[in-house]
This record gives sequence, structure tokens and C-alpha cells, in this order.
Amino acid sequence: MNTWGMVKTFVLGGATLLFFFIIWIYNPFSPHEEYPLPAQAEEIIKDPRSALEGRELFKQYCTSCHSLRYDGIYLSSVAAKPEWSKIEKSQGKPILEKRDGKLHIKGYFVPRDVYEAVAFQELESLKATFGKIPPDLSTYYLARGPGYLYQFILEPDKILPGTSMPKLFMPEFDKEAPQKVAKIVGYMRSVSEPSPEEKAKRTLMGMLTIGYFVIMGFLLWIYRKRLINRMNL
Amino acid sequence: MLKKLLDWLDERTHVKDLYREQMIDYKVPKNLTFPYVFGVLALITFVIQIVSGVILIMYYKPVMAHAFDSANYTIMKEISFGWLFRHIHAAGANFFLAIVYLHMFTGIYYNAYKKPRELVWIVGWVIYFTLLTTALTGYLLPWGQLSYWGTVVTTEIPASLADAPILKGIFTAIGETISIWMKGGYKLEDLALGRFFGLHVLLLPLILLGLVSIHLFLVRAAGISNPEGYEIDKKSESEKLAPFHPYITLKEGAIAMWYLALFFFFVFFNMSHFLPADNFEPADPLKTPPHIAPEWYLLGFYEVFRSIPSKFWGFVAFNLILILLLLLPVLDFSPLKSARRRPLFFVMFLVFLFSSMILTVLGTMAPTPTNAQLGMFFTFLVFLFFLSLPVISFLEWGWYRARGGKS
Repeated sequence: MNTWGMVKTFVLGGATLLFFFIIWIYNPFSPHEEYPLPAQAEEIIKDPRSALEGRELFKQYCTSCHSLRYDGIYLSSVAAKPEWSKIEKSQGKPILEKRDGKLHIKGYFVPRDVYEAVAFQELESLKATFGKIPPDLSTYYLARGPGYLYQFILEPDKILPGTSMPKLFMPEFDKEAPQKVAKIVGYMRSVSEPSPEEKAKRTLMGMLTIGYFVIMGFLLWIYRKRLINRMNL
Repeated sequence: MLKKLLDWLDERTHVKDLYREQMIDYKVPKNLTFPYVFGVLALITFVIQIVSGVILIMYYKPVMAHAFDSANYTIMKEISFGWLFRHIHAAGANFFLAIVYLHMFTGIYYNAYKKPRELVWIVGWVIYFTLLTTALTGYLLPWGQLSYWGTVVTTEIPASLADAPILKGIFTAIGETISIWMKGGYKLEDLALGRFFGLHVLLLPLILLGLVSIHLFLVRAAGISNPEGYEIDKKSESEKLAPFHPYITLKEGAIAMWYLALFFFFVFFNMSHFLPADNFEPADPLKTPPHIAPEWYLLGFYEVFRSIPSKFWGFVAFNLILILLLLLPVLDFSPLKSARRRPLFFVMFLVFLFSSMILTVLGTMAPTPTNAQLGMFFTFLVFLFFLSLPVISFLEWGWYRARGGKS
């Protein structure tokens, strides 16, 4: 390749790579808000053990308004209905969990329309109180990220002025409050993200797949070189 | 045993002749550059999309009440490797369009739309257009906030015809009719979801499959273009040609392997762009998200639409760019081919390429007055590229003849 060709390749290839880097990996120009997370809270959120405690805290603090259907948690007023456990079993699918090497039924995933029909009265009264139905939180960890959730649960009105979400945790009175919030966020994380073992499995799978293709590419390239020499092409 | 089976098959289907004719007797120029690989990469991505798509259809439910949960619970959490196929399909869609854009820019750079390959370009343009429709219809299916509002905005775009300077009544009626027809009513609901699902999983892929076959056939029929911009004579210049297999297949095979390595890097480790966070919130018709922008492959058109003050002219402008792309073989009429031999064209190509990239990046930014002015400027440059083509053709052909070139 001559110099001019190299310059052209460099400019065109470089511009293309830069373009896709901006579009696909990191875009310094797009408007975005950041919600920093205190180091202590981050540690609790990342700790897989906080998921179990967080689940109990979630049931205690959040289920009077929110459900988390992907983990079998429904509004406490709905779950308290006498017919609910039968509806759950007949309409839902069991959510399985591996504990001590055995599968346990953690709860039931009930389809949205069935749940909303059963919970119609309760959801309507929540709507009348707050102006809108408090959302189901199954995917909110993925939608909002840990920083936003942590800050929002601690101080809802500061992050989203005018929100009808009440301030449930008072660090002034309850010294444990930030940890509790972090545990709840950690629980929401455990619902949305694969478990550490699963994550390790996926990473290994990814490495193997990528490695396979890289090596196959090189082998094909070397084979081609030899073949072309032999065929005098 | 295998040989016997092959002979048996060959006796009945003549596959060996076909293989010889298509793979070995089919000769390609030796000087093909790296960008020529994008065609085969697009084909590979298309196959990936079909395979992963078929697996996703098995678990996806095209009903408002279940769409979001089937994508985010059934596929992502319940089905073994459901996450993998969703990741592959989402990343594949982005890679497909990226590769198609690179393929198109390569085609423009080497003037692969000129005689005798006009039909290749036209069919390729129809593939591009169908692909955009497929991407748009597929975007609605997860039924998240971005899917929903992205589709609402897209279906409202024809309604911007109401901004027309003349014949307001007629344009309003046309725009609204198209918009309602696309949504299947005044609200985006089950009807639209069902239609989009049908289009995305059956009709559009079938059309694409047919078009891609025609595209490949046409490339074979017209012969592959050449970076040097002249047609190689098969008889007198046979030393410049090499058999398709193994010369090209192995080269493209190796590059395809590395491409797949990159693809799977994104699938396993960097999905945050292809499955954006906002789309993990279920669609809510009562809550408009603060930033709605289309996916990156439409951002260039979106920026053109957004930066022009009048909605009507914005609508006309971005449709005109699509039509001008189709008309490239007519606009660029000189028989000279390839930017390597055409300095003026090379300069204008750079202007076009960089303007398109900058318009796309501008589309990701907040809509400020400065950005709108920049957007107008780069829109102007894109149009300048298309409108300068006839002039360039004329000038370059004159120079070529004056320097004693053959016609």
C-alpha cells in the first residue's frame, strides 16, 4: 500500500471507529444525569447476602403500594385476600429458587391481566390516593440504576420534586436507614441481575466464544496464506 | 460413503456443476479491498437475526398485557439461554444496520451503482428501506417506554405534513390518514402491536429474504465492482483474477470470524446500549419520557427533520435524502468509476460521510439553537453532495477526455 492509501485508510477507518465508539460505547455529548452512590451503600448493594434481608425489608416497607411480580411479591392487601393463594397457584407459574442444593418454590409469577383484575379494587384506591397507580418494581433496577433508586428512596422529593412517593426512611431517627435502603436496592438488583454463579458462567461462556472465533480466524488466515502460495495465485 | 452419497445427489441435481460454476469458475479481482467484506458480513448478520428471531418468537406474546413480561420475564429469566438469544437479536439488529451503512458507503465510494450495476444498487436501496421498516416494527415489540413512545413519535411524523405552506387541508388529511393507518387507530394499542408483530416476524423478513437473493443474483450477474474502477476483461487479464473459492471465501471467512468475535463481545459484555435502561420500564401511555430520540441508525434523518424550522420542509428534506440515495445512478452519470480515480468526487464523498456522521452525533445531543444551526449546516452539506454530483460528473469527464482518456 502506498502512503496516500495508508492515509486514506487511516482517516476513513479511524473516523468510522470513532463514530461507533461515540454511538455505541461512550457518548460525551448526550445529556444524562448521574446519581452517585456512597461507597458503603454500593458495598451492601453488591453483596449477594443483602438480597434475602432486602426481600423482607421490601415486604415490610414497600408492598403496601408496590408489587414486584417477577419475584412473586404482590400488594400486601391483595396477598391477604383469602382466595389469593388459590389464584396464585392456578393462574401463575412457580418461581423456583435453588437453596442448599434443592429447588424451592419462592412464589408465583401471576400474569399481569389476572393480577390486575384480582387487585382492581386495591389498585383503584391507590390511584385515588396518589393520583396514579404506584408501578410494579420488577424491572426498575434495570430502568433506573442503583444510584437513582438509593437516592430516590432516601429522599423522594429531592430527586423527583412533586412525586407522591412518601419519605419512608428518616436517617435522623433511624441510624440504620441508609443500610436498609441499600439492602432494598440490593434485593431489587438480585431480582434483575443474574446471580453471581450465573454471571461467572456467562463470563466464561463469552470468553470461550470470543476466543474460539479469534483463533478460528487466525487459523483460516494462515491456511489461506499457505494455500495461495501452493496454488501460485 | 460420503462420495457415494454425493454422486447419487449429483446424478439427480447436478450440484457439482453448480458448485464448480459458482465457486471456482466464478472469478473475482485480486485487488478487492477490505470494505468489500461488508456484504458477506451483512449476510451473516441476517442469518443470525433469523435464527435468534425464530427462537424469540416461540416465547414472545404479541398482546399488550403480556408483551413486556414475556420479553423481560419469560425470555430473560425463565427460559434457559433466553437472555442470550435476546442479546444476540438486539445486538444483531444494531450490527446489521451498521454493516449495511458501511456497505452502502463502500458502494458509494467505489461507485458500485454505475453501469452495469444500477439494479444492484436499486435493489440494495429497497433492502435498506425494508430493513429500516423491520427495525422500526421490531422496536415496538418489547413494549417498554422507549418502544412505545418511539413508535408514537414515528407514527406522528407523517402528520407533520399539516405544516405545509399551501394546500393545508389536503396535506393535513393525507398526513393524518397515514398516521392513523400506521397506528391502526388513534391510540397505539393491541391492534398496532399485532400488526407490527406480524410484519416484523413474517412479511418483512420474507420480503428481505427475497430481495437479498435477488441482490446476490444481480451481483453475480453483473460481476463484482473493482476498487480501481474499471471492468476487468476475463480473457485478456485473467492474471488479475482469482477463483472465488478458496481465494475470497477463506479471506472473508477469517474476517467474518473476527467480526463474530467482536459481535459476541458486545452480546456478552456490553449490552447497555442495545438494551437501553429506559426500555425496562413498561409502556405507559400517560407518561412521556423526557428524552425521546430514535435509535442511532435513524438519528441522521431525525436531526435533519428536527433542525429545519418548518416541520413540513423537515419531512420533505429527510425523505428527499432517501430518494436522492436511490437516484444516485442517475445523478452521477459519468462513466468514470471509483473515488480513486475521481479527486473531486473523493472530496465530496468525504463531505457526505463526515456530515452524515456529525448529523447522527448531533441527533444524540439536546435540542439547543446552536445544535439546530449546526444541523442545518450539515444538512446543507449532505444536499450539496447530491446536487454536486452532476456537475462533478461533467467536469471530471471533461478532464478525463482532455487528458486523452478513452470514452
